[in-house]
Amino acid sequence: MNGFSRFLPTTLCWGALLLMLAGCATPPPPPPPPPKVSVVLLPQTDAAGNPIPTAVSITMGAQSQQLDKPFALAETDNKGQLGQRVSSAEEVQARYGDVLKMQPPSPEVVVLRFLPGKSQLTPESEQQLPDLIQRASARAGGEILVIGHTDRVGSRDANDALSLQRANAVVSLFKAKGFASDLLTAIGRGEREPAVPTDDEVTEPRNRRAEIIIR
Amino acid sequence: MTRQPFTNLAHAMVLCALLALPAISQAANERSGVFKNLEGEVSVIRAGKSLPAASGGGLMEGDRVVTGAKGAGSLILKDGTVLTVGPNSSVDLTHYIYDTTSQNGSVLVNLIQGTVRMVTGIMGKTNPELIKITTPTSVVGVRGTDFIVEATQ
Repeated sequence: MNGFSRFLPTTLCWGALLLMLAGCATPPPPPPPPPKVSVVLLPQTDAAGNPIPTAVSITMGAQSQQLDKPFALAETDNKGQLGQRVSSAEEVQARYGDVLKMQPPSPEVVVLRFLPGKSQLTPESEQQLPDLIQRASARAGGEILVIGHTDRVGSRDANDALSLQRANAVVSLFKAKGFASDLLTAIGRGEREPAVPTDDEVTEPRNRRAEIIIR
Repeated sequence: MTRQPFTNLAHAMVLCALLALPAISQAANERSGVFKNLEGEVSVIRAGKSLPAASGGGLMEGDRVVTGAKGAGSLILKDGTVLTVGPNSSVDLTHYIYDTTSQNGSVLVNLIQGTVRMVTGIMGKTNPELIKITTPTSVVGVRGTDFIVEATQ
């Protein structure tokens, strides 16, 4: 399927298909003009594989369409009218296989921990760094994001600063091991995303962590 | 063609709505995204100069991505949005703001011609109403979504 759609631009491909379906009448009718715009909604699932409800809207002057079902497709006809129909996985693959195959793999997430009250990783966490670098390097343009999190002891602003400081400390370790700084990002999320929800001012070591995203 | 003035107005309105956002500090020359998988001819037009795209290379606000007949490429933007540009395409990252701490921001992608796939990232959840793709004739808005847009001139 991929191979086939690679040989011809997709619009030509569809034009050719329509011509073939028109049969052997002579002279062949001119191919219909391609739609001015097409939008197709693809299904999405969460990490557990359950469908997530999603939608897109398309507005063209006074006309508009809401797409909210998997493979719903809005497209202009040869009179410029914006219509909607349901496409299919097969049609999307045939028409857009050359786009679909470029999708990068899903990101990987790993949690690293700090020594109590410090911006220094635990020895167990530090040992994981070479493997994380290897996994990022195996990806085309692979990046490492370090997202620092704190518990709820201290003010929100102080925790924003502390989480970023911890993230920067981990980024420095990746740099020191030779990972390209262009592809490293330190992010501080403060106390916004606790792994374990607590009341304010509660000490919770499990919330003092760095999330590593490899993408 | 009679639609054109109306569409331009719609584009202008989208742009105004996006630009009217409270300013979030953004370092100059900061990367908005990173190129991932690339195939065939893919270039970036920045400040009037055309540069070949490379995996691991950056895309900045205001850049244009142009692909040849056998060219295609994917990018991951800062908030995790995955943008794939298909063959024979020309796409501008007209506007991209994202604050990694608050996770707020806005995106405007202008598809001049060709095909893009967008799988929204964090902003698809935090600011879906501030993510727009425009084409010469239409405006596409999203809600936490994976979709493809194709525009023909």
